[in-house]
Amino acid sequence: MSSFPEIRDKVRSAETLSFEDGVALYQHPNLMELGALANEVRERLHGDRTYFNRNLHINATNVCEASCRFCSFARLQPGDPAAYTMTLEEAWGRLRARVAANDPITEIHIVNGLHPGLAFDYYTELLAGLKRIQPSIHLKAFTAVEIFYFAKKFGMSIEAVLQALRAAGLDSPPGGGAEIFAPRVRKKICDDKSDADEWLEVHRVAHKMGLRSNCTMLYGHIETAEERVDHMLRLRALQDETGGFQTFIPLAFHPDNNALMKLPGPTGVEDLRTYAVARLLLHNIPHLKAYWIMLGIKTAQTALWFGADDLDGTVQEERIYHMAGAATPQVMHPTEIIRLIQNAGRTPVERDTLYNVVAEGAALIPDKPFRRDVRRSLEVVS
Amino acid sequence: MSVEARSLPLPEPAPESLAMLDLFALGRQASAARDGQLGRRGTFVRARQLLASGGWRGPRDAAESTVDEADLAAVGGLPALRAAGIDLLVAPADSPHARAAAEAGLRVLLRVPYRVGEDDRERVHRLAAIDQASFGVWGVMPAPSGEPYGLDTLRFFALCRLALPRVAHLLADVGALGPRLAQMAFGFGADELFAPIVAERALRLGANAHNPSLTRKEAATLIRGAGLGPCERFADGTIEEVSA
Repeated sequence: MSSFPEIRDKVRSAETLSFEDGVALYQHPNLMELGALANEVRERLHGDRTYFNRNLHINATNVCEASCRFCSFARLQPGDPAAYTMTLEEAWGRLRARVAANDPITEIHIVNGLHPGLAFDYYTELLAGLKRIQPSIHLKAFTAVEIFYFAKKFGMSIEAVLQALRAAGLDSPPGGGAEIFAPRVRKKICDDKSDADEWLEVHRVAHKMGLRSNCTMLYGHIETAEERVDHMLRLRALQDETGGFQTFIPLAFHPDNNALMKLPGPTGVEDLRTYAVARLLLHNIPHLKAYWIMLGIKTAQTALWFGADDLDGTVQEERIYHMAGAATPQVMHPTEIIRLIQNAGRTPVERDTLYNVVAEGAALIPDKPFRRDVRRSLEVVS
Repeated sequence: MSVEARSLPLPEPAPESLAMLDLFALGRQASAARDGQLGRRGTFVRARQLLASGGWRGPRDAAESTVDEADLAAVGGLPALRAAGIDLLVAPADSPHARAAAEAGLRVLLRVPYRVGEDDRERVHRLAAIDQASFGVWGVMPAPSGEPYGLDTLRFFALCRLALPRVAHLLADVGALGPRLAQMAFGFGADELFAPIVAERALRLGANAHNPSLTRKEAATLIRGAGLGPCERFADGTIEEVSA
C-alpha cells in the first residue's frame, strides 16, 4: 500500500491516484496532513473562491415505490400517513411566492419519490409551468433514479425521457440516488431501484445530450472505506468518458426515522476525511460541495478547508433530509452564507447552476434580500 | 489498564504570532502540545452535577461531582462543597470564586467565552491573562456566545491549548458544540469530552434525537475516530483505556 508521502508526491505531480491510494488515504491517521493536502488541490483549482447559489427545493411528492432503508422521506402508498403529492398549482405556487417576494433565485432543485400513480405529463407540465412563471430559472430536476423509473414505467428509452423533459424545461439532472454503488450495499439498503450501472447510464446519456449534472455518495451507514473508494472511482471513470459532472456531493447519512436508525451515522472527523479523500481522488470533477443541509453548518464551513469549494445554496423548504433528522435550518439567507464563507477566510462567489458567476466582490451584498421569517427558518422538521 | 496522569512539562509560552498560523499549522502544533503533555489520548468521565435545588443531575455512582458557579450560593457556598463531595467547580473565566475554590482544594474548570468575528490576537491576549492566574486552573472549556462557527471554534481550541501551557486540560462541550465539532476539536488540542455520560441512550426519537448525552461506547467511538486512545477518567485521577 502506498505511503502518504508517495501519495502526496503523486498529487503534487498531478498523477491519478489508484484504488489502493484511496484506501490508504482513508486509513491515514493524521487528519491534518490529509486535510492540508486536499486543501492544496482545492486552492490549486479555485484559490479561495467559494461558491453558493440562491435556490429553492421542491419535493413534489414523497409517495415512492422504492423502499430504501436509509430513507425517512418516502411513503409507500398515497394513503399512508404523512404521504403527500402536490398539485401542479401547489408546486408552481412555491415559485410564485419567491417571485412575489423579489427573491432572485436562479435554480429550482426538484427531487421526488417514485410515485406509481402519476402520469408522465405531471412531470413535464410541472417543469413547463415553472418555466412559464420564470423563464430564466434553471430547473435541476429528477435524479437518475427517477429518470430510469420513468423510462421503465412509461416504456421509453432514457434518451427519450430526457428529451421530453428537456423540451418541457429541464436544464440538468441533480446527482442524487447514487447512494453507494457496491452491489453488497445496494442489496441491503436499496435493492428495488436502479442499480449502479443504470444510474451511471442515465448520466452518460444526459452528458452525451450536452446536459451537465452532479454526482453524490451517501456515506456513513454500512459501507466500507473500500466501497466508498470504489464508488468514487466509478464516477471518475464516467467523468473521464464524458466530462459532464460538475460537482461531487458527499451526503452524510442521517439515521433518524428510518430503518437504519440503530446506526450511529458518520462523525465529524469521518465527514472531513471523506471530503478530503474525495478532493484527492476526483481530480477530474471540478467542484466539491459541502451540502450544509446534511453536514450541519459548522461542519460544512470546516469542510471548506478540507477540499470543498461550494456550500450549495439558500435551499428553502428542503424536506428529505429534515425528515431524517437534519437539525439545520430550512433556509439560509445569502448574507449568512456570505458571512460563513468569509469567516472561513474564503472569498464568496454567487454562481448559477452551471457555475457562471452571478455576483462577486462588492456586487455580492444582497440588495434585494427576500423577506425572512426567522421563526420559520429555524424550524426543524422532525 | 490503569495509567497514572503524568506530571506535565511546560511548553514555551505561546507567542502572539500564534494568531498568524494557518488552520493546519495550528492544529498540528496544538495536537503536538496536547500529546506532549498528556499523550495521544482523549478522556471522558461519568460525572454528576449538584443543582441549585440541592438535587443531583447524573448517575449516583458518578466518578466526579461538579457544581456550576451559578448555583454556588444556592447550595451553601464554597464551604458546603467539600461536605457535598464536590470535586470540580465549573466557573466563568472571570469567576470571583475560582481562586478560593482552588485554595480550598477543588479543581477549577473555567468556561472561556469566544464569539464569531473576534480577532485571534485579542483572543491570545485574553488567554494570556488566564495563563497568568496565580491559582491552579485544572482545565478550560471554550464557550461560544451564540451559535458557533466551525473553523472559528477549531482555531480557538488550538489557541487555548497553545496559549495556556500551564492549564493541562482542554474540554470540548458536546452540548454547546454538537458531537461532530466536539470530536473535531481533538485535532486542535482538546483532550476531554464534556458531556453527560449515560448508561444507555434511548433510540434517536423525537426530542431525544439531539440529546447531548453520550454512552460510554459513543464517547469512546468519537475519541477513537479522532485518532486518539479513548480513556475513562476516575475520581482519583487515574485513567483507564477503553478497549474497542
